[in-house]
Amino acid sequence: MEEKINLLKQDLNKTFENFTNDKKEVKSLNELDLLESKYLGKKSLIAQTLKNINEFPHEVKPFVGKTVNEVRNKIENEIKNLRDELNLIEFDRKLREEKFDLTLPGRLLPLGSKNIINKVIEEIQEIFIGLGYEIAEGPEVETDYYNFEALNHPPDHPARSLHDTFFIDDKILLRTHTSPVQIRYMEKNKPPVYIIAPGKVYRKDYDVTHTPMFTQIEGLAVDNNINFGNLKWTLETLAHSFFGKDRKVRFRPHYFPFTEPSAEVDVSCNICGGKGCRVCSGTGWLEILGAGMVDPNLYKYVNYNPDEVTGFAFGMGIERMAMLKYGIDDLRLFFENDIRFLRQF
Amino acid sequence: MKITYSWLEEFVADLKDFSPQDIANKLTMSGTEVKRLEYTGDKYKNIIIAQIESFIKHPNADKLSLCKVNIGSEILNIVCGANNFKEKDLVALALEGAKIGDFTIKKSKIRGEYSEGMMCSEKELGLSQESEGILILEGNYKLGESFARQVGLDDWVFEIEVTPNRPDCLSVIGIAREISAITGLRFKSLEYDCQNEININKNFQIEIKNLQLCPRYSAKIFKDIVDKKTPDWMKNRLLLCDIRSINLVVDLTNYIMLETGQPLHAFDAELLASNKIIVRTAQKNESITLIDGTVRTLNEDTIVIADEKNAVAIAGIMGGKDTEINEKTKNVFLESANFWGPSIMKTSKKLGLRSEASNRFEKKIDPMLTIIALKRFEELLNKITGQKFEKVIYDCYLDVNRERNINLRFSKIKQILGIDIERKAASLILERLGIKNKISDDYISALVPSFRFEDLEREIDLVEEIARIYGFENIPTQKLDSRSSHGKYSYSQKMTMKIRQTLEDSGFNEVINYSFISLKEFNFFKLNEETSFKDYVRISNPLNEDFEILRTTLLQSLVKNLKDNISRKILNLRIFEISKVFFKDNSGKNNLPIEKTRLAVLLSGKANLKSWNYSERTYDFYDLKGLLEYLFEKFLLKDSLKLLNNEYKFFHPSISADINFNNEKIGIIGKIHPQLVNLLDIRQDVYFMEIDLDNFIIKSDKKQQFKQIPQFPSISIDLAIVIDEKVTNSEVEEEIYKNGGKNLVNLRLFDLYKGKQIEDGKKSLAYSLEFRADDRTLKDLEVEIISKRIIENLNRKFGAVLRQ
Repeated sequence: MEEKINLLKQDLNKTFENFTNDKKEVKSLNELDLLESKYLGKKSLIAQTLKNINEFPHEVKPFVGKTVNEVRNKIENEIKNLRDELNLIEFDRKLREEKFDLTLPGRLLPLGSKNIINKVIEEIQEIFIGLGYEIAEGPEVETDYYNFEALNHPPDHPARSLHDTFFIDDKILLRTHTSPVQIRYMEKNKPPVYIIAPGKVYRKDYDVTHTPMFTQIEGLAVDNNINFGNLKWTLETLAHSFFGKDRKVRFRPHYFPFTEPSAEVDVSCNICGGKGCRVCSGTGWLEILGAGMVDPNLYKYVNYNPDEVTGFAFGMGIERMAMLKYGIDDLRLFFENDIRFLRQF
Repeated sequence: MKITYSWLEEFVADLKDFSPQDIANKLTMSGTEVKRLEYTGDKYKNIIIAQIESFIKHPNADKLSLCKVNIGSEILNIVCGANNFKEKDLVALALEGAKIGDFTIKKSKIRGEYSEGMMCSEKELGLSQESEGILILEGNYKLGESFARQVGLDDWVFEIEVTPNRPDCLSVIGIAREISAITGLRFKSLEYDCQNEININKNFQIEIKNLQLCPRYSAKIFKDIVDKKTPDWMKNRLLLCDIRSINLVVDLTNYIMLETGQPLHAFDAELLASNKIIVRTAQKNESITLIDGTVRTLNEDTIVIADEKNAVAIAGIMGGKDTEINEKTKNVFLESANFWGPSIMKTSKKLGLRSEASNRFEKKIDPMLTIIALKRFEELLNKITGQKFEKVIYDCYLDVNRERNINLRFSKIKQILGIDIERKAASLILERLGIKNKISDDYISALVPSFRFEDLEREIDLVEEIARIYGFENIPTQKLDSRSSHGKYSYSQKMTMKIRQTLEDSGFNEVINYSFISLKEFNFFKLNEETSFKDYVRISNPLNEDFEILRTTLLQSLVKNLKDNISRKILNLRIFEISKVFFKDNSGKNNLPIEKTRLAVLLSGKANLKSWNYSERTYDFYDLKGLLEYLFEKFLLKDSLKLLNNEYKFFHPSISADINFNNEKIGIIGKIHPQLVNLLDIRQDVYFMEIDLDNFIIKSDKKQQFKQIPQFPSISIDLAIVIDEKVTNSEVEEEIYKNGGKNLVNLRLFDLYKGKQIEDGKKSLAYSLEFRADDRTLKDLEVEIISKRIIENLNRKFGAVLRQ
C-alpha cells in the first residue's frame, strides 16, 4: 500500500512538473482552456484519482485526498493567475485595436484677452507694489489748477505750449498728464508718500505718432532724505524688471517744470543691442520716461516743508512702454481695437 | 535746431580735441539733446573744384559741349549739356565714383566722345530745388581740392533739441558755452566795446509805448550797402542748418540769429514813412500785409512795429510786405529788439504763425543780446563788402537789474543729489557756465548773469546745474526701501482687476476707446432723449467734430468696434471695456464733471461656428444674461439679480431692461434696436450691457463666510406644466419658490416648448426641483406633498396644468 501511495505521489509530482512545463507554452485563453482540461478535466490524473479514491483503504483516504487536492489547488491557482494575466493582455489588445483620431479639433473655448495697455499697467503696478507703493487715482477732467498751476506751470509759462490741451471751459480741461494726481494725493496725505498713478491723459495732437488720448503712469515718492541716487535706483529697478536685467539704463538731464533736477531716462535698444539702428534712430538708446526730483515749489501748494522732505516723481507713456517691450510698431493700433491685435495679448 | 561743428569751432578754443561724436554725446548727457549728428561731406565725395579751360561743340550732338577742364594736376575731357559757362569759370566737377542722387559717376563715352566726369548743377549738388545750368563758383578756390571742403559743405551737423527753459541755447554761442562747461575748453565770446555809439544822434527816433511788452528796441542804419552775393561759406552753412539763402541782408539776419540767438529784422529804410519807429499795440481791426503775402487783421493785444503812418511788422513774428528788403534796397534799417514772451506766444498762436524768431522770443531771451547782434551784423557785413558804416546805434530799453545773487548750500547739494561734490569742483562748474561765484563757509555765493536770468532763480536751479554738468551718470544709485507700511491695491482696484480677469478668462476681448465721440453719434443712438445719458460734457476746442463730446456711455464705442471689425471681416465679437464716462454736473456745487467707471459688454455674431462635433450657434440675449449671472454669482449674490423691463430708445423695445441688484438699478441690458443696427449696415443681432462698476464693486461681498456643506442627500423631481405664454419664467419661479418651502434648494428650467401638441397661446415649461433638509434625509412623501401644493397654486394663479 505504501508503495501505491508513493507511486501516486511520484505521479502527482510528475503531473505538476508537466503542468509547469506545459503552462510555459500557453499563449492564449484557448490554450489555457486546453491546459485546464488536460490537468483538471475528467480524464486528468487528479480527477481520476479523486474519482477512484475508494480504491484506497479507508485509513489512507484522507491523506490521499489531501495530497491530491493540494496539487489540484496549486494548479487551479496558477491557472487563475494566468487567466487574469491573459485577460488583461486581451483587454489591452482590444483597446489598442480601437481607432481614435487625436488630431481632430477639440471643442473650442473662446480665447479672451486683457487689453495690452492694462496688461502693461498691471505689470508696472506689480513692480511698484513690490517696492511698497500704493496705487492712486484722480479725475480725468481736471482743473487748470491741478493740471498746470500747482505743477509749476503758471499761466503764460512756455512749457504749457508743450501740452496742447483740450478745454471744457477756461478753468476746466482734460488732464494732459497724470501728474495732477501727485498734488491731489499730497493734499490729502502727509509724507511718507509712495504712489504710482496710472490713467488716461489727453492732448490735442493726432498724427502717426500721437493719439488725442493715451495712457500714462505717474510715480511719486516723498519722504525724509530721498535723493537723486534713490531715483536712479528705483527707475533702474523698474527698467530691469520690465524690460530685462540685460538692459542698460541711462539718465539724461532734461527739463520739466515740476521737477528739478529733471531727467529723461533711456534703456539700451533691444533691437540692435545698443549699436544703433532704425528703431533707436541710430542712438542705441530708447527713451522711456521723464523723471526728476520734485521741485520744492510744489510742496508749498500742499503744505509740506521743503527743508524736511525731498522726493522724486516720474511719468511714462504706457503705449510707448508696450511698443518697446512687445515690438508694436504703430501707435494707432492701440485704439483701433482690431480683434486680431487684441487677441495677441 | 541745427548747427555745425565748424561754426562751433569759432567759439570754442581747441574744439578739435574732441570729435563731433564725442561732443554730441557730451551735450546729450548734459541736457542738450543731440537728436542727430550727420556728416555732410560724404555726399560730396569725389567732387572737386575745377576750372574750364576751353570748350567746343560736341561733333555729334547739337546741345552738348566738349570741355577741357583743369583740376590742378591735369586737364580732363568732360562732355557737358549746359551752356551757362565760359572759359575760366570755376565749377564743381564730379569724378568717377561720385554720387549724384542715386547715380554714380563713371568715365564713359557720350555720343562717341570720352567724358571723365560731370560738371554739376546746384540741384544735382542738393543746394537748391531747381537750378538752370551748372553751378559757377565765385571766389578764390584751389583747383583739384574737395568741393565740399572749399565751399563749407564738409561739416558735421548737430540737430539739437533745446528744452524750453534754455532759450540761451537756441544759438551757436549758447551751445558753445555749454561745450565749454562740459569739456573745460575756453569759450570765445562775442564782445564789442560800443558804449560810445549808443544814441549819439537823434536822426532816427525810437519810441516804445509799453516797455513791459518791449523791454528793449535797438537798431542801426546801414547806408548804401553795395550789391553783393552771400558768400558760399555762409550760404552753405545756412543751408546745412535748413535755412535757404535769399539775399545778403536777409541771410545775415538769419545767420546772426542762429549764431547769437537774437532775431533781427531788416527793413528797407527808404520804405519807412518816417524817421521814427514806434513800438505799440495794434489798433482794433488794424491790418497788415505780411512778407508771406497774407493780410492779417490784428487786435489790441498784438505788438506791432510802426512808422508814423502804418504798422510795418508784427513784432517778433513777421515783417510787413511794404517795407521788405528787395533787390533795389540800398539802405537798411536793422531792428534788434526784445519782446515780451507771453505776448508773442499769444499772437503767434492766434495767427497760427510760428517762426524761428517767435520761438525765441516766446522763451524770453536775453535783452543784452540786441547790441551784440547789431555789432555782429556790422562786423560780418564789413568783412563781406569791405564797407565801413556810421558808428551809431539807436537803443531804447527798460532799465532793470538782470543779475541775481543766489547762495547755494553744499548741504543742499548733498540733500538732493545724495553725494558730496567737492567744493572747488562745484564752483568751477558754475564758473564755466558763466556764473561768477565764490566759496564761503558752507555755501557758494553765485551771481547769475543776464543770459540765464530767466531760468536760474533759486538754489535748486543751481543744484540742477551742478548735477547735469557733473554728470547724472556719476551720481551713484542708492537703494530705496519704501518706508510706508506696505505696497497694496485698494479694494476697488483689486476688484476691478479681478473683474477684468474674469472677463478675459470667460473669453472676452478687452477694448479701449477714446473718451470722446461726435455729437452726431450721440444723437444717432438717441442718447439725447434718455434722461440717464443726455447730460454730456462738451469740449470747447475739439480736434474735429468726431471728438466733440465726452461719452456718457460706452455704447457707441463698442458698436463702432463691432462695425470696424465687421469691415475687417471679423463678424463674431465678444468684447468689453472698462472706462470712465462723464456727466455734466448740474448741481452747481462742483465745477468738475461727474466721472463714473462703467463696464460694458457687447456680443454679436456666432457663439460658435459649425464644427465636426457640434452645430453652429448664434449669440442670443441669454448668452449675455448668462455672463451677467456669472458676474453676479461670482462677485455679488446670484439671487439678487433682477432684470426689469425698461425701454431705452437704443434697445429693442421688448428686449430692454434695467439690471437691478436688490431693487437698485446698477446697469442696463438689451438688444440694440434692429433699426439702428440696420442703419449702421450691421447685418446681425447685437447685445449690449453696461454696469455701473463703482456701484457694483461697493456692493460686492467683502466678507465671505464659510457655509456648511450639506450633510443629507437631496431629492430631485421634474415638473412639466402647460401655461399661458404671457406668464414669464420668473413669475413661475417665484410661485414655485413661494410654495416650495425652505427645503426647495434649487430650481432649474430644463425645457421650454411651444408648438405641436401644445395649444396655441400656451407653452410648456419643465423644471427640475431639488429638495434637501439641513437636519435629516427627506422622505419621498414629503416632497410629493410639496410638489402637489406647487401645482395647485400654479393652477390657481396662472391656470397652469401638468403636462401629460
